[in-house]
Amino acid sequence: MAKLKQSNQSFLQDLLSFQGSLNGKSQFLDEVRLKGAEEVKNIPFPHRKDEDWRFISLRDLYTDDYELATRLDVSVPDISEHYLPESEGSRMVFVNGVYSEEHSQAEALPDEVEIGNIADLASEDHPLLKEHLGKYGNFEDDVFSSFNTAFLDDGAFIHVPKGVKVDAPIHLLFVQTEADVNYFATSRCLVLADESSEVTIVEDYIGLGDNKYFNLPVFEVNLEEEAYVKHTKIQRESKEAIHLARTGAFVAKHANYESYTITRGAKLSRNEPRISQRDEEVEFTVDGLVLIDGDQVSDTHSVMDHRFSHAESHQLHKCVINGKAHSVFNGKIFVRKDAQKIDSFQENRNLLLSRKGLVNTKPQLEIFADDVVCTHGATIGQLEEEEMFYLKSRGLNDQQARELLIYAFALETIENISVESVQKLLVDEVHKFTERQLDSQLTA
Amino acid sequence: MLEVKDLHVCVEEDPSEKILKGVNLTIGKGEIHAIMGPNGSGKSTLSKVVAGHEAYEVTQGDILFEGESILDLDPDERAHKGLFLAFQYPVEVPGVTNKTLLRQAYNTIAKEQGREELDPIEFEDYINERLNVVDMKPEFLDRSVNAGFSGGEKKRNEIFQMAVLNPKLSFLDETDSGLDIDALKIVANGINQIADEEKSVVMVTHYQRILDYIQPDHVHVMLDGKVVKSGDKDLALKLEEQGYDWLTDLASVSVNGEQN
Ligand SMILES: Nc1ncnc2c1ncn2[C@@H]1O[C@H](COP(=O)(O)OP(=O)(O)O)[C@@H](O)[C@H]1O
Ligand SMILES: [Mg+2]
Repeated sequence: MAKLKQSNQSFLQDLLSFQGSLNGKSQFLDEVRLKGAEEVKNIPFPHRKDEDWRFISLRDLYTDDYELATRLDVSVPDISEHYLPESEGSRMVFVNGVYSEEHSQAEALPDEVEIGNIADLASEDHPLLKEHLGKYGNFEDDVFSSFNTAFLDDGAFIHVPKGVKVDAPIHLLFVQTEADVNYFATSRCLVLADESSEVTIVEDYIGLGDNKYFNLPVFEVNLEEEAYVKHTKIQRESKEAIHLARTGAFVAKHANYESYTITRGAKLSRNEPRISQRDEEVEFTVDGLVLIDGDQVSDTHSVMDHRFSHAESHQLHKCVINGKAHSVFNGKIFVRKDAQKIDSFQENRNLLLSRKGLVNTKPQLEIFADDVVCTHGATIGQLEEEEMFYLKSRGLNDQQARELLIYAFALETIENISVESVQKLLVDEVHKFTERQLDSQLTA
Repeated sequence: MLEVKDLHVCVEEDPSEKILKGVNLTIGKGEIHAIMGPNGSGKSTLSKVVAGHEAYEVTQGDILFEGESILDLDPDERAHKGLFLAFQYPVEVPGVTNKTLLRQAYNTIAKEQGREELDPIEFEDYINERLNVVDMKPEFLDRSVNAGFSGGEKKRNEIFQMAVLNPKLSFLDETDSGLDIDALKIVANGINQIADEEKSVVMVTHYQRILDYIQPDHVHVMLDGKVVKSGDKDLALKLEEQGYDWLTDLASVSVNGEQN
């Protein structure tokens, strides 16, 4: 059993013995893991006293025991209801961190596309995997990405070669099952989009039960010149789960990285997208939609790093907060000294539905260039009384009126997602969210 | 149809802010009424209170609809009974299309009234036919409710909603203001068509302009939170010529009378 302790000590013991047990499966993986473990030893785990973590309690993470998910022996229920019809032939499924060949499909993908399980490719010494893994995380001094690396095992590897345009969205489905014990998973993805390639990725985390586990995913994506990657992340982990995720994207000349992150599940979740411009003339979008209630906490700490001239960036982060839920947003926009002609938009809009909900928001600009247009801001609003009255005067009951307004608030993000079934799924989620909202109102 | 009896209303958050000070009004079935009065006299407040706005508190009096008090009903329950308010300032709801709102509204009201709900195809036919009442294009249905509409379009949309929802009694709050003459004729024509269907209509306005196109059965004047005078359409003409000044004495007399 691994136990995360602030002292790191007992956990490390476990970790190192675990490392030993894996020795020999793949030399490359073992090297990577050991490096990760070494880093974990040297970086303290975050604490409330750290400025960047002050709104978040990681107590559960440090005090409870967790078993490594991949070692669990659980039977997998039917998960086909979670498949996306658009991705019938382009899906990778991981159950409790273990790649499931049985559930995965690749026949809709062009032959040139390389898609596979990281652990398998590592044992074949796959050159691209070896060359690129860990390069785009860009998370120096981050213990959780090192932790992920220390336990690197199964994961998704996707390589879209030069000029290849993939029509079918690739669905990366990470399923967490119920289990008798608390467990932890360290999901990992590496996406390489070569010159002028196009691909759509749906990164999807589902908790099938209400059980406790933690997940520390790392998603890396590299966009070469003129590549276009659309990346939707859906987080609907179990309501007792902890989900601390990193996304690192490198964006080369004329490339476009478009991402939408949906946060719906987990008791505590944190997304850390870090987008790094590698050359001039790029575009990127880091939009988010958060729907939380009960005592959920959602934290987004993003970095948009403008390092060269001519970038257009967009971040609309929308949160709907009900119950005693708590939303944290900290969005850093860096514009480096020689990065001119930057056009950056950042806004965090919060719709607070309850008196006990909480919002902490901090859009943050650090600009060292002068020819730059950056608009940024944050708003916290409630359902407008006049809008409610207007809709109710047309005959809509309270539930219908609220749902319509919440839907309208969320729509701006939802309608940009290009996969139709994901749009539908999110409209459903909004419906379920408002239904629950009404329930909690009635029982309050 | 509607009886407003000695209605006293203050602002919910500030009870010292008394807005309506004893309004009496009776609207019969199929009748067209006009309520006139200068800005700030309480016309919009009366309209909103009838529709059930929660920012106001009724401190005295009653509102009866078809013989029953509606004071305890929520705005949606009043709509289910057949009340409608065309807003002076229609609210923009970006992201919700006219069609979505109206189908939900129509079917909710139909269900509450024990009538058959319409499926999407039936509703499509119905709503397209109703577009004619205010001479609107079908594209309009897929636009977000009032979002980015001109003032005139918003007013027309209110009448369109009324045409679709088919209320028994409608308060139209300043539906005529902000309309150019062509739009005014279209809106007036729409209101006349609906009124012909045995519906009661209360037009709130401070111009008599729209009354050239819609003949009211009764005209009321509000001043300082009270109906100070009622008459037929000639009253509107007199107001047009002489303004409200000749009535202000009437208002202060009755206010004083009340204090005594
Ligand atoms: N919600 C409110 N809070 C405070 N004062 C209000 C409110 N609504 C209306 N009033 C006041 O009541 C008076 C009547 O307003 P209103 O009904 O809008 O008049 P009209 O429609 O005749 O121009 C005005 O003095 C207005 O400022
Ligand atoms: Mg008014």
